[in-house]
Amino acid sequence: MLEFDQVSKSYPGGFVALDRVSFKLEKGEMAFLTGHSGAGKSTLLKLISLIERPSVGKVLINDVDLSRIRRAHIPYVRRDIGIIFQNHRLLMNHTVFDNVALPLVIEGFSGKDMVKRVHAALDKVGLLDKVRCLPHTLSGGEQQRVGIARAVVNKPPLLLADEPTGNLDPDLSKDIMQVFEAFNQVGVSVLVATHDLGLVARMKYRTLTLRQGKMINDGLLQYEEAPL
Amino acid sequence: MSILFSGRVSSGASDHKLGLGRRFVMFWVNHVRQALFSLGELWRTPSASILTIGVLGVSLTLPATLHLLVKNVQQVSDSFTQAAEISLFIREGTNATQISSLQKILQADSDIARVTHISKQQALAEFGAVSGFGAALNYLTENPLPDVLLVLPKNTSADSARQLLERLSKERIVEFGKLDIDWLTRLDAIVSLLRQAVLVIAVLLLGAVLLIIGNTIRLSIMNKKDEIEVMKLVGATDAFIQRPFLYSGIWYGVFGGLLAFLIVEAMLWWLQGAIASVTSLYDSEFNLMSLSMGEFFSLMLLAVLLGLSGSYLSVRRHISAIEPTGP
Repeated sequence: MLEFDQVSKSYPGGFVALDRVSFKLEKGEMAFLTGHSGAGKSTLLKLISLIERPSVGKVLINDVDLSRIRRAHIPYVRRDIGIIFQNHRLLMNHTVFDNVALPLVIEGFSGKDMVKRVHAALDKVGLLDKVRCLPHTLSGGEQQRVGIARAVVNKPPLLLADEPTGNLDPDLSKDIMQVFEAFNQVGVSVLVATHDLGLVARMKYRTLTLRQGKMINDGLLQYEEAPL
Repeated sequence: MSILFSGRVSSGASDHKLGLGRRFVMFWVNHVRQALFSLGELWRTPSASILTIGVLGVSLTLPATLHLLVKNVQQVSDSFTQAAEISLFIREGTNATQISSLQKILQADSDIARVTHISKQQALAEFGAVSGFGAALNYLTENPLPDVLLVLPKNTSADSARQLLERLSKERIVEFGKLDIDWLTRLDAIVSLLRQAVLVIAVLLLGAVLLIIGNTIRLSIMNKKDEIEVMKLVGATDAFIQRPFLYSGIWYGVFGGLLAFLIVEAMLWWLQGAIASVTSLYDSEFNLMSLSMGEFFSLMLLAVLLGLSGSYLSVRRHISAIEPTGP
């Protein structure tokens, strides 16, 4: 599904964000990406969503080399990837419905079909009753779930999340993770970047750990933090 | 369309089994919907929209007014066709048959609209009546005035009138011809100067309008930078993001054009009274001409094109420049 082959990324000025990173995420697999801030987590996600291009190496999704994607085709690639942002990045002056419907509108859906899908996505994250609300009337956890609904509304085969629980308390974080697990169980590949090591350890999924741009661990995290 | 996953059914409208006709209808329905959405956006930011529309309207008013001015001056100069009247003075001793045969020949000439014969006797009578020498003229033993043929050319422009004069002066029984051409030439020159001035001013103003609309659209793009980034992250193409801004440009054009039209009409209405009193002093039949239907539509078309191209220039530069910086 997702493959990094000896990928390096250095920025002008010589800063090396990723150093020969290789890994493979299978179809229907769920994994965590951890590391301190500045370790390269964000850079790795940017390479997948084509916000940045690697300096060296290849990123492949479903065996398609992303370096072959021309600029004009980037939007079509992004439609196949659901992205969840740390600060959820909702359009604050549009309703929850409009926010979730955005990817569908972009793809040309309209009418009943669109409404059905938006409601299905909101139902999965448990926010069907907030359809007509504006995002700022919702709590942080609810806003994040709206962001998730928007990412999954067009049923992408690959889901990326960047610090989805960054601003949430542990209980809400667990809820959010359970939402991801539910999507994973219906066959979606999920990659979650987080520095919440306690949560990662409890969840018992494959964990990729970055330190200063290098992949230092690929597998289950060995230790478990004491519960808070 | 999915590039990465060939089997994936994602696109809404295109992948559904819609008939060609239905898809065509949906295309227009979508465009109308987006146009209305852009109209709503203008409505939601009234102060900025009103300013832009105001600037556009006033900028278009000036060229439109100047155009009307030229049009009306031309109407005035057209009503002075007598100015291009050629007087042909007939040689002494020519008899009436020769004169009337020349008159017939000239009347058949394709360049000539009308020929009038003023005989010696008529001329003397008129001179006596107008000059006030009535009694004194009775002492003349013979009539010193020649016969005159007044020729009205079809084409009243100075150049062609002069050419006609040269041709007619060569007639055997014509002593000489006379055409008061100078002031006609001057009027022609003034009208053409006016027309060129209008063109230059119009081009400058339209350039300004283009920049103003471009700048307004640029500001609204900047205001929506976050929104555009999010749209790009969830897979919107540049074309999709551009569309509402292009529609805003079109709406600016429509409202600016209407405003210009209203200002011009109001101005004409205001000036009508003043002009009527001036023309009544000059005893002339002058009707102030307003914009015709065709001119109204050209004005609107011009305004809409300006709005569209202004926003297009801005959108082309600024939307592709906004790239999401990170998830």
